[in-house]
Amino acid sequence: MRKMKFAPTLVAAAVSTVLLAGCNAQASKQEAATMAPVGKAMLAKSEQAAFAPLAPLGPPPQAADNLTTPDKAELGKLLFFDPRVGGDASTGCSTCHEPEQGWAWAEDFSRGYPGTVHWRNSQTIINSAYYPRLFWAGSASSLEKQAKSAATGGVAGNGESDIMEARLALIPEYRKRFKDVFGDEWPLIENVWRAIAAYETTLVQRDTPLDKYLQGDKAALSAEQVRGKALFEGKAGCIQCHNGAMASDMDYHNIGVPANKRWEEDGLAQITFRYEQYAKGQTEEGYRTAKSDWGFYYRSKNKWDKGKFRTPSLRYTAHTAPYMHNGILYTLEDVVEFYNRGGFDEEGRTTQFAENKSKLIKPLGLTDQEKADLVAFLESFSGDPITTEKPALPEYAPLFTRAELEAAQEAK
Amino acid sequence: MGVRVTNGRALLAAVMGLGVAVSAQAGEYPDIGPLPALKVDAAKAELGKRLFFDKRLSGDAGIACSTCHAPENGFGSKEALSPGYPGNGNFRNAPSVINTAYKKVWLHDGRIGTDLNDVTREMITEDYIMNMDMRIMQERLKQDPVYVEMFKAAGKNEPSNGGARSMIPEYLKSLTSRNAPFDSGKLSASAKSGMALFKDKAGCIQCHNGPLLSDQKPHNTGVPENLDVFLDPMNHQAFVAFTMFQGIPNYMALKRDPGYLNITLDPKDMGKFITPSLRELKYTAPYMHNGTLNTLAEVVEFYNQGGGKDRNKSPLLKPLQLSKAEKKDLVAFLEALSGDQLTSDQYVWKGEYPAEYPAIDNWTQVRN
Repeated sequence: MRKMKFAPTLVAAAVSTVLLAGCNAQASKQEAATMAPVGKAMLAKSEQAAFAPLAPLGPPPQAADNLTTPDKAELGKLLFFDPRVGGDASTGCSTCHEPEQGWAWAEDFSRGYPGTVHWRNSQTIINSAYYPRLFWAGSASSLEKQAKSAATGGVAGNGESDIMEARLALIPEYRKRFKDVFGDEWPLIENVWRAIAAYETTLVQRDTPLDKYLQGDKAALSAEQVRGKALFEGKAGCIQCHNGAMASDMDYHNIGVPANKRWEEDGLAQITFRYEQYAKGQTEEGYRTAKSDWGFYYRSKNKWDKGKFRTPSLRYTAHTAPYMHNGILYTLEDVVEFYNRGGFDEEGRTTQFAENKSKLIKPLGLTDQEKADLVAFLESFSGDPITTEKPALPEYAPLFTRAELEAAQEAK
Repeated sequence: MGVRVTNGRALLAAVMGLGVAVSAQAGEYPDIGPLPALKVDAAKAELGKRLFFDKRLSGDAGIACSTCHAPENGFGSKEALSPGYPGNGNFRNAPSVINTAYKKVWLHDGRIGTDLNDVTREMITEDYIMNMDMRIMQERLKQDPVYVEMFKAAGKNEPSNGGARSMIPEYLKSLTSRNAPFDSGKLSASAKSGMALFKDKAGCIQCHNGPLLSDQKPHNTGVPENLDVFLDPMNHQAFVAFTMFQGIPNYMALKRDPGYLNITLDPKDMGKFITPSLRELKYTAPYMHNGTLNTLAEVVEFYNQGGGKDRNKSPLLKPLQLSKAEKKDLVAFLEALSGDQLTSDQYVWKGEYPAEYPAIDNWTQVRN
């Protein structure tokens, strides 16, 4: 952890520490102290103890200008599942963030708007409230902005603000709810994103086996998982980036994930690939030559950021396969193998930007038993699947009666 | 003419109390007559034709330009209100695009006065029409080998959205009236009488003049609202999105189409619409900006009664007191303004489109 970019995580960790019973907090601290020497043994000196320890997840941070209330979250839930918040009224948030598929999409690339395919893996909504920045390259600075970008993006929701706002105005139930929650006469599109963000702050999981373990319930992890934890924090070095309560440093790294081969074989994916170069402001030469996702570069325009992506949380990953920004790894075993090889896939492929590949990524020399232990530990970041009943969506109704319209005609 | 009375005739008529018996002074208006021939670049027009019928030019690949501008309906829509993009309806009738290349102002409210390149962009990108991010459209075109070839044949290095926007207008130049009896001078006796009425007693020529039979100016003729615009939330949402985007005040309360007010925001322009061309009417029913009149006989009757009810109604509209025979003659003349149906291969892309986009071979080695 080179940059202090993880403030919200630290806040969350600190909050949780305060909230915990004294003995648990103590246990947590002791744990960190115990693990540190293990880390030291494996990590370069400059990297020692520079990261936050794993910690139980506290309550999600609240945006000061968008506090979650039950009514707002309930409205947000309706909107999250409503495909009218999208271009052709067939895709809503839940289309690519399907609760049954880990509140994500269980293919390498997210499914995308009809007639398109996305170019990155759909990330889970669960615990998204803890990220200071959203999307794989961190292009959105809040849940509200993420929701808007997703709903309006050409290969995502492809909705435009005016038609989406117009639709909501013609749904009486929404008119009432928006007025109750936000006080405006008509639903405003910016409030759609606020309500969805509020709903997302309720989609958190804080009672995983790991949370329980870190709170002092030593029986919450199996012996195998405890061994995996030691590897995670030691020999395997995962904690160098996957640290803190979210198991993410919220920073950007190139870990060597190779390009998704689908781009070589799938015409629809090739279309989206070029569109993204175009849409993300590539140079002409960059547009012509790019053959993999340049990641954080699109934001920084710094060549050293090519192929970097934000460290994802490891929470809920038991339910969110496939993995990585482009979904090329289908199981946690594959993920562990990938790191064990030093950031190479089974064909020996790695990032096209080898010069940017993190020095933290190197062959780990894990035994089969160690790999199994690590996978077992990774599973402890997930509790049971979070499910919800999909809401019945409110219906359109004409705004005016025929009599009102006829009277207006008469007055012409 | 509303704003611009180009001659003193209306005033004179009013003074003399002879609203009906206006004496014909056809010479005061650009005369009606054949349209000049247009030079069309064959390769570009052919490419534009394929684009016009290609559903992949809309956001979800569900509709093409031709969905609302169908050849069998004179490149208009048989629905009173244009179908619109999937997920919403529309609030106006899709006008014929035959002869659109001759226009100087486009769309019922006249909101585009530049060129068909801009009209093409508006139709493809507008959210309630085709909802296409043209950057995606460009990449779709680049993914189709047929387009790659056709753009080369049309003198372009590669498909681009700018290229597409220039090819469709070139194709539209090929959609012009063909062999209309009016143009070829083969009018029936009834149509001839109708033409005389058109220029004289019925006064149609006051607005429907020049080779397009349109002055391309805004007028309020009192066309009643199509209440389906407001009673069907699918249509109303398109109307709300449009009026919101255009910045029309108090759009949620509107119970009528503001028309040309969209351009000026001047209340006296409420309900004015650009005079449509009268060519190809035989195929383009229903009529008016909102499709509320089903037949040409209804249209003639509408004007015979002096148009509809509106405080902004053009002073040019007065009850005409046409006889039954005169009305029939007028309809005969209107029909004579329509030529051959443009439904042959020359005007319609009848080839198949690929069901999938083929992958570009050797993708990692070739330039994008």
